[in-house]
Amino acid sequence: MDAARQEQRDVPSAPSPAKPGPGFDVRHVASRYAVIGVWAIMILVYALAEPGVFMTRSNFISIFTGQYALVFMTMALLCTIIVGEFVDLSVPSVFGIAATVLPVLVTNHHWGVWPAAIVAVIGAIACGAVNGLLVVVLGVNTIVVTLGMGTLLTGLALWMSNLNVVVLQPSSFEKIGTFTIGGLYISFYYGIILVLGFAYVLAYTPLGRHMRFVGASREVSRLSGVRVNRIRFGSYVAAAAISGIGAVITVATLGSYNAESSNSYLLPVFAAVFLGTAIIQPGRFNPIGTWIAVYFLYTGILGLEDLGLQQWVSDVFYGGVLVVAVTISTLLRRHRSS
Amino acid sequence: MTISQADGAGTSRHRLEVAHLSKTFGPARVLRDVQLSVAPGELHGLVGQNGCGKSTLVKILTGVYTPDPGGSITVDGRRLRTPVQPAEQREVGVSVVHQNLGLVDDHTVWENVRLGRYQARGPFRKINSRAEREAVAAVLARLGRAIDVNVPAGTLTAEDRATIAIARAMQDHRPGGGLIIFDESTRALGKSARGRFFELVRSLTDGGASVLLISHQLEEIVQATDRVTVLRDGQVVETGIPTRDTDEAGLTRLMLGRHLVTHSRVDSHAQDDAAATVRGLSVGQVRGLDLTVRRGEIVGLTGLMGCGYEEVAEALGGARRAGSGELAVGTRTLSLSGRRASTEHFVRAGVGYVPERRLDEGLAAEMTLAENMTLPRIRSKGSRLRTGSAWQAEEAATMIAKLDIKPPNPDAPVGTLSGGNQQKVVLAKWLAGRPNLLVLREPTQAVDVGARHDIIDAIREAAKDGCGVLIASIDAADLAVLCDRVLVFRNGEVTSELSGELDQDNIIHATFGVPQEKRWVG
Repeated sequence: MDAARQEQRDVPSAPSPAKPGPGFDVRHVASRYAVIGVWAIMILVYALAEPGVFMTRSNFISIFTGQYALVFMTMALLCTIIVGEFVDLSVPSVFGIAATVLPVLVTNHHWGVWPAAIVAVIGAIACGAVNGLLVVVLGVNTIVVTLGMGTLLTGLALWMSNLNVVVLQPSSFEKIGTFTIGGLYISFYYGIILVLGFAYVLAYTPLGRHMRFVGASREVSRLSGVRVNRIRFGSYVAAAAISGIGAVITVATLGSYNAESSNSYLLPVFAAVFLGTAIIQPGRFNPIGTWIAVYFLYTGILGLEDLGLQQWVSDVFYGGVLVVAVTISTLLRRHRSS
Repeated sequence: MTISQADGAGTSRHRLEVAHLSKTFGPARVLRDVQLSVAPGELHGLVGQNGCGKSTLVKILTGVYTPDPGGSITVDGRRLRTPVQPAEQREVGVSVVHQNLGLVDDHTVWENVRLGRYQARGPFRKINSRAEREAVAAVLARLGRAIDVNVPAGTLTAEDRATIAIARAMQDHRPGGGLIIFDESTRALGKSARGRFFELVRSLTDGGASVLLISHQLEEIVQATDRVTVLRDGQVVETGIPTRDTDEAGLTRLMLGRHLVTHSRVDSHAQDDAAATVRGLSVGQVRGLDLTVRRGEIVGLTGLMGCGYEEVAEALGGARRAGSGELAVGTRTLSLSGRRASTEHFVRAGVGYVPERRLDEGLAAEMTLAENMTLPRIRSKGSRLRTGSAWQAEEAATMIAKLDIKPPNPDAPVGTLSGGNQQKVVLAKWLAGRPNLLVLREPTQAVDVGARHDIIDAIREAAKDGCGVLIASIDAADLAVLCDRVLVFRNGEVTSELSGELDQDNIIHATFGVPQEKRWVG
């Protein structure tokens, strides 16, 4: 423990050698990469506290293969949150219904796996379109619509699955999720492609610029010729599509889905998205920061579980991080606009 | 420390004395060694361009910011601790009336005045509303105004609203003492209410209270104040100049630090062909308006507030849907009333719209200067897959140079710029696209003299390049120097059209004077 404390003291002091340069830059770099620094410290602390347990190949693989579902859901939530739609609570349920429809159709109704996958994705998109219709076209309160929609979809998924875990018969379909590259499932790389693609759209395309402006001010965007409602509606549909595709990949990788697990994703999704605003682009919702946050959070939980703490620790950790992350994000935004 | 305190005691003939006050934000020194004194019973003006440090000074005086060590703020010989504590500020009698007067419209007069001072009584901590009402009535009596304390503030006239704000500011002052700071408060008042406002302020100073008046309107500074202090780039250029020894031009020179080229009218750039043709526009009170703006022509729309000219500008700028009408601009004809007539079509047809409220409608504060500026063209100049950075950088650099936008950093969030520079960015956003028709609402509102100069030049240059310009404004001075002709609206109708040699007075006369024969026509 002493050694760990020593490490903790050493690492935060790392920016200080740069002090002779302009102080402004140090703060800039510190605010961008602070969470990554904390991540490194966390790994060091765990490595020293649990020699031979934490720094193992299996643990490493567990961190990086387990979280693809969360990556898809966080990117779905980002779609709507970036265009200023606070907050789409239905993301995990849309994911859950798609992930339930697929094995139910295949196992209980003997559909082909590909048609079932397509129906699952289309079903998810339809849910997103209903969200968009209610929120954007009819102007109903976002929280009410998405909370209601989320609960409704979770209920439907439980009914369809008869409250059971629905198992998919092993087939070559699994390969789209479990194909292994460098020891990691291909689903991990799908997540990376999605994140980088999203980051590219936001940074380099007119669509991304429009999304940012709609998020910053609908009226300014409208008066500048941006089709605001189309972008808002599109973001709900895109969010649902990403959830649906993520669900198909998850079912392929896991070989089954438990409809009851959908709700447990809600808090981690929000925690990661908000923590992401403290990374890379401080004060802004951004895909790469969110991706880092997903793995940061899971590292923290896995380490605590390795230390012998029980399952409850993930609730404590995700909940605590959500509050801390939102606080940091609020402070950063205030700093940016002052 | 002891020396300053001794100083303070020796200068107690000042109501407010500010000495060696500085403020640094990170690398930026926004106030440098500011000196300022206000005598009892004095109406003291404080002027300076946007971003000169006026608001920072007010925020230090009211305890929002902590000044750098070394400065002192003394009220009636008592040196205040910094940051200024609200309790001490109230005790010595310093209060502020802010820009928007700070009234909650759907609460009553007494609730507004007593806000923050409610006295709770009894076991249930109930507000003693009778005592509160009496206290407010007493303050209003001191001001010599009879206003019903039980009506919502939103139902009052502008003049009464100002009175309420003053009542709130001075209620804790002992008679004949105290200092009220008016931070651009006259902006919330119409021109007609300003006369009465200054009468009221004068009655306060005659009673011994002091007033620090911060304003962009040099005219009212020259007419109303006793002495004036000029700030430039965070420094006091001159302090305590007796107002009778100066005029607007003199103050302008001090504020700018350079001789401003006076705005004289220049020759019209109007060409023969039409830039935009409006047919049968009906919006709000306006019915069936026809209007042609030629290329290079600058047309002013003015009138009393709410008589229709604002709606005309909004409809032609694509900001609101009209009842009926058509706008032919460039090669396109846009319906002004159709369900599908979205702003996007206006932008594509080459219509630029500079809205009145720049931070609500013109700019996204958190986005950068360059991003805001290039937004209308990001789709048409970029490809679907790439915005392209070269044209954006070039456009931003050109417009920053052309309009002298400060700081000249295209990556600065627009929210960090001063008001005048933000207004330049809104203008640049459209000018960079070389519009066929530029519609502006109050283009120089709440900008400083230097920014106004740059904005007027940029509008003229756009006209010279063949753009048709429509300016909807109540600022007769702007219209007089810029416009080739001015349409004056009253009750939804154009009651007069002024052209040729325009001057401020005949525009004002046409706006406020009684129209003759056309009054009930239509």
